[in-house]
Amino acid sequence: MRTRRLAPAALLSTAALALAGCGGGSLSEDSGGGGDDSVTVGLVLPASGVYEPLGVDMTRGWELYLEQNDGQLGGRDVEVVTADEGEGPDVGVPATTRVITQDQADVVVGIVNSATALGVKEGLASSEVPLIVANAGADDLADGGEWVWRTSFTNGGIAASLGEQVAEDVGDEPVYLMASDYAAGEESIAGFREAFEAAGGTVAGESLTPFGTTSDYQPFLTRAQNSDAGAIYAFYAGAEAVSFVQQYREFGAAEDLPLYGPGFLTEGGVLEAQGDAAEGVQTAMHYSNLLDTPENTEFVDAYVEAYDAQPTTYAVQAYDAAAALDAALEVSDGTSGADIAAALGEVGEFSDSPRGPWSFDEEHNPEQTYFLREVEMVDGAPGNVVQGELN
Amino acid sequence: MGWLDANLISVLNGFALAALLFLIAVGLSLVFGTMDVLNLAHGSLSLIGAYLGVALVDEDASLGVFVLAALLAAAVGAALGAALAAMTSAINDHLRQALLTLGVALIAADVLRELFGSDPERVSAPAALAGSVDVLGRPYPVYRLSVVAVAVVIGLVLYVVLERTQAGAIVRATVADRGMVEAIGIRSQVVLLGVFGVGAALATLGGLLAGPVLGARPGLDSTVLLLALVVVVVGGLGSVRGALLGALLVGQVQTLGVSLLPGQASYLLFGAMALVLLLRPRGLLPSPYAHAGGHA
Repeated sequence: MRTRRLAPAALLSTAALALAGCGGGSLSEDSGGGGDDSVTVGLVLPASGVYEPLGVDMTRGWELYLEQNDGQLGGRDVEVVTADEGEGPDVGVPATTRVITQDQADVVVGIVNSATALGVKEGLASSEVPLIVANAGADDLADGGEWVWRTSFTNGGIAASLGEQVAEDVGDEPVYLMASDYAAGEESIAGFREAFEAAGGTVAGESLTPFGTTSDYQPFLTRAQNSDAGAIYAFYAGAEAVSFVQQYREFGAAEDLPLYGPGFLTEGGVLEAQGDAAEGVQTAMHYSNLLDTPENTEFVDAYVEAYDAQPTTYAVQAYDAAAALDAALEVSDGTSGADIAAALGEVGEFSDSPRGPWSFDEEHNPEQTYFLREVEMVDGAPGNVVQGELN
Repeated sequence: MGWLDANLISVLNGFALAALLFLIAVGLSLVFGTMDVLNLAHGSLSLIGAYLGVALVDEDASLGVFVLAALLAAAVGAALGAALAAMTSAINDHLRQALLTLGVALIAADVLRELFGSDPERVSAPAALAGSVDVLGRPYPVYRLSVVAVAVVIGLVLYVVLERTQAGAIVRATVADRGMVEAIGIRSQVVLLGVFGVGAALATLGGLLAGPVLGARPGLDSTVLLLALVVVVVGGLGSVRGALLGALLVGQVQTLGVSLLPGQASYLLFGAMALVLLLRPRGLLPSPYAHAGGHA
């Protein structure tokens, strides 16, 4: 009888542990190999799991560019094979392997998760297939090696762009640093700390909050409030950013500690859910849909017309990945992976991107302008209003 | 002084979190402990409650609208609970129950994603409770304080009904010996339906009340189910007091524990669960009526 009584508790504990490691599924579409004059692109973006909203935006950005160019890139017909990146490398790496082996993709575009991107890097290099990263921000992902190119950002780069500005804003008061406890959060804090301290700032303290298991930031916010900090720097994205900013407001930190962070803190659907709780939050980002340039206005209009939604930075990154591939195929000798990789090195500056002019630097990361944005109510809804340029 | 202040706020916040966890987990505990049904769709019920909040409660909604939405959520939960009870009543072994309810949970997650999209959504607190009050010199959200009060009331009602009324006596008797209860002319199916309905109603109600704190998003169902399972495992199956104690412990571990040991924050929850299982394998306060031999 005793074993019978123990069984339910044991079963429940097992269920609890199994749930903790739940993963996403995968989804496949029709396959096909590239002919000689057409190019096969493997578009690997999340269609399930926590990054799905990013996947939706990025798919839209990519498709909008193709539509505007009659389905052609560099004058060649494009065949797109898609794969679900899922949440992490457990799904994303096999999905990427499948598009290069089974679907014979000539080039891979996408990848939201840095761990997935790092996981496919070697396999792509040995298959001689270039990767155009349209989101993943791990600092050492693109290092000048010939197969990896990036149209998004580096975690450290965005963070560093804020350093001088914050140091100037807080004067001689220290700043409290908070981030989600995973690689991107650590890189973000490291990048900010270096630039901030170089500009004469001091750090009051630092909290790395458990990633994916906590949605209550009160203990950490209270630590920041109890320190002698005059401002908070925070790295959060997605649902975590929604909870964090809302609690930053509810627990009164907003009253005396201005909040700075990379733009993911207030981007797209995240900002909608935060509502007026996000008012006054200042972020650094390489794009805002409110950026007032002719190129961006045209892009936003086309995007809104196509999808009845405002574009996000994620959409622009995928849009620009298509633009980069377009430019490369224009100058490329052929459609092999090696040809495309070589051509990506010769594309020069992209002058009509919605984010403003940018080019690949020698490490193949985007050389671009970061903007300081502040959340203000625009026509009754919160928006990331551009305050000026950083760096 | 700062140290004390900080930790008192964390303790208070732990009570608010515990209140929400209690509301959600007590249904899981009752259904499993008394009816021997493992309902892995319990987190989905709670997420349905949260999304009802997204759909029904506008920003600056009045308290009346919020209460109506809460009652509606409870009614929807009761109906869904009855449906789950009907589905699971013929199945006796845990593995098949788990597979069935997990399947229901997966379908529910996809339907909710289809209806509400995959962006995280916020549920607004009613306008009357939206602000913050000063507690120990720090602003604290009024809404969280109200949640504690609501949970205390519901917990007391549950306790009195189970321990002091005839209906409660029948439930306890069904747990102890279903065959004997049927022999004196009570249909145990009806009891099962009732307990499942109430448990599910509390889950959807808890989900809606948790909306302004936890929000509503895909994946929240499994997060909530996970926390509820931990609460039930820690507290002991089938007892209201166990669920309460489990929720209080998990609430404090997640706030005070994290505040004191921020470096170990990721491991605290399961560390606490493992410790309890080592010392008290049946949980801290298991139901005194827990059946010894399963169903007759």
